[in-house]
Amino acid sequence: MKRLTQTVAAGAVIASLSAAAFAAGHASYTIGVSNTVQGNGWREQMICAMNAQALASGDVAEMIIAHRNTDTAGQLEDIRNLIEADVDAIVLNPSNPDGLNDAIEDAIAAGIVVVAVDAGVTAEGAYILSNNQEEYAYLGARWLFEQLGGEGDVVYMRGIAGVSADTDRDNGFQRALAEFPNITVVHEVFTGWQQDQGKQQMLDFLATGIPFDGVWTSGIDNVIVDAFLESDVPLVPIVGADNAGFVQMLTEVEGLEGAAVTNPGSVGGAGVTLALQILEGNAPDDPLVLVDPALWDNTTDDGRAQITSAQNPNLDPEWPVSVSIDGWTTYSMDQIIACEGPGE
Amino acid sequence: MTGFLKKHGWTLGLLAILLTLLIAIRVVQPNFGASGLESLARAALPFAFATAAMAVVVIAGGIDLSVASMMAVTGVTAAVLMDNATEGQAVFAVIAVLLVGIAMGAINGALIVLTKVPDIVVTLAMLFVWEGVALLILSTPGGGAADWLRSIIAGPVSLPFLPEAWTFWLPNAFIFMAVAIAVIWLPLRRSKLGLSIYAIGSDDTAAFRSGIAIGRTRVAAYAVAGLFCALGGLSLTMGTGIGEPVPGPYLMASVAAVVLGGVVLGGGRGGLLGPIIAVFILRAIRLLLTLMAVDPNVTTIVEGTIMVVVVMLGAILMMRERRS
Repeated sequence: MKRLTQTVAAGAVIASLSAAAFAAGHASYTIGVSNTVQGNGWREQMICAMNAQALASGDVAEMIIAHRNTDTAGQLEDIRNLIEADVDAIVLNPSNPDGLNDAIEDAIAAGIVVVAVDAGVTAEGAYILSNNQEEYAYLGARWLFEQLGGEGDVVYMRGIAGVSADTDRDNGFQRALAEFPNITVVHEVFTGWQQDQGKQQMLDFLATGIPFDGVWTSGIDNVIVDAFLESDVPLVPIVGADNAGFVQMLTEVEGLEGAAVTNPGSVGGAGVTLALQILEGNAPDDPLVLVDPALWDNTTDDGRAQITSAQNPNLDPEWPVSVSIDGWTTYSMDQIIACEGPGE
Repeated sequence: MTGFLKKHGWTLGLLAILLTLLIAIRVVQPNFGASGLESLARAALPFAFATAAMAVVVIAGGIDLSVASMMAVTGVTAAVLMDNATEGQAVFAVIAVLLVGIAMGAINGALIVLTKVPDIVVTLAMLFVWEGVALLILSTPGGGAADWLRSIIAGPVSLPFLPEAWTFWLPNAFIFMAVAIAVIWLPLRRSKLGLSIYAIGSDDTAAFRSGIAIGRTRVAAYAVAGLFCALGGLSLTMGTGIGEPVPGPYLMASVAAVVLGGVVLGGGRGGLLGPIIAVFILRAIRLLLTLMAVDPNVTTIVEGTIMVVVVMLGAILMMRERRS
């Protein structure tokens, strides 16, 4: 039994030494991934971005991916299994900010770099890389208010009350609103990020006949355009996300002025880049890294060019069309569509 | 000796499979040791209770599709009651949660007995009812758990009168599971109620003619299942420190472990030891596949295939034995 203890202790020492040796120069890391939603376009893009970025970086020897539909207890199991697999870093999309801390702390104690993407975790020592949701809302709202000439009534269609992404977006929206004193919110609703619900809410509001000049949506976008078209009401400027359906409408629907703000699932790839940077000794000062969104409007040549170049018929229609993040991902469009990691 | 082997053949076979898996894990990952066993035991904990719950009702000739939903209700109840509670108050929270579990199970059983609607239909309906109840109690994940409760399943066993080297590989989570199930199941199995549960599962007409109160026994079996679900829900809250209202993947996993564990789906035969070992086998397979970096989409296929093959092999062996 004593021998076993020694073996375990020796193993731990060797593991930490070899991690240090890798950090010094030669780079051939193993990266573990944990995700708890399977079969959702945004999440599948995230996984493919992780694979593609690991391959494109040339610094990753192996990806171990725990990707299934499960609860927080299941994600705890997956993280602990990844620790057992002696990975160098774990990139995870956390199912809950507080529920995973035990396992994340175990991982950090074992010398593993932990990067949470898309949502935060509260564990000490973990890094968080997320789309900047406040900026997301600010960018779109500012574009809309400028489009209206700084004056008019807007409909504000939010996500889910109490969810952190919605709260952050509201902060950004309010910041933009404060800059334009002559803009008024005439109607504010929670769509629950549900297509059918958002569409019905817009149909109902159009039926009231209350005039308004623009719509800001929290990503439930193409159905809002549908509601206008079905009600046979003149279109107003609409802000949405870079979902394939809405982006296509921006190029095809006659008379639609609008802008898509990017909310890329490729933060997964950015998470891999951040993990590799930390492994190489270049950890950011702030453990919270935010990826700034981009805005593509169809009212300028620049914006139209970006929309056109982002569209790709080979892309899964469920995916967001922004498949890469400037400064964070280096893979090609073909690589992310192929969805293959190193060693496959 | 051969009698013992025959009687416990299935369980011993499962143990052999588990041991083989652990050796395979050790080969793939030479560093696998005490912390790995702890990961395995902690991962198995909620599945083990869900499986124990399912096994009891299956032995009684029924099925309970609402086990995962009942775990969600008890998990969020525990998290809500313990949020901002003192460590002492948490004791009452735990007792309350166990009672809630028994009550939910008894309601399931009473509905089946009183309405005479098939158990599969009633518990399918209750799956949605309890899921809704969990969301009413806590609409988004949250709440808390007492530190003493969480520490019960953390780390390895340490006993004051034993040297650490003897116990460092034995996880607390495993002890908690073994003790909780043994304290409920061993006395029950030998009691009049336990024998009645086996009897109604085996042949309820014969049981009725032997003077067993079928209805009452059935309600009791579902209540025991509810108690195990409460322990499962508690173990979820103990592991995560929060309550989650949306049920986890425990229903199908518990049916799988019960079948793999040698409990006959028709009822009346089998115990809890086999299904619990089966739970560990299923967790060990996932760990092994993770260590081998198998494609995540292939992992579930492999898990399912192994299960079918084991159950089929077992059936073939049993048939041969009967013929000879």
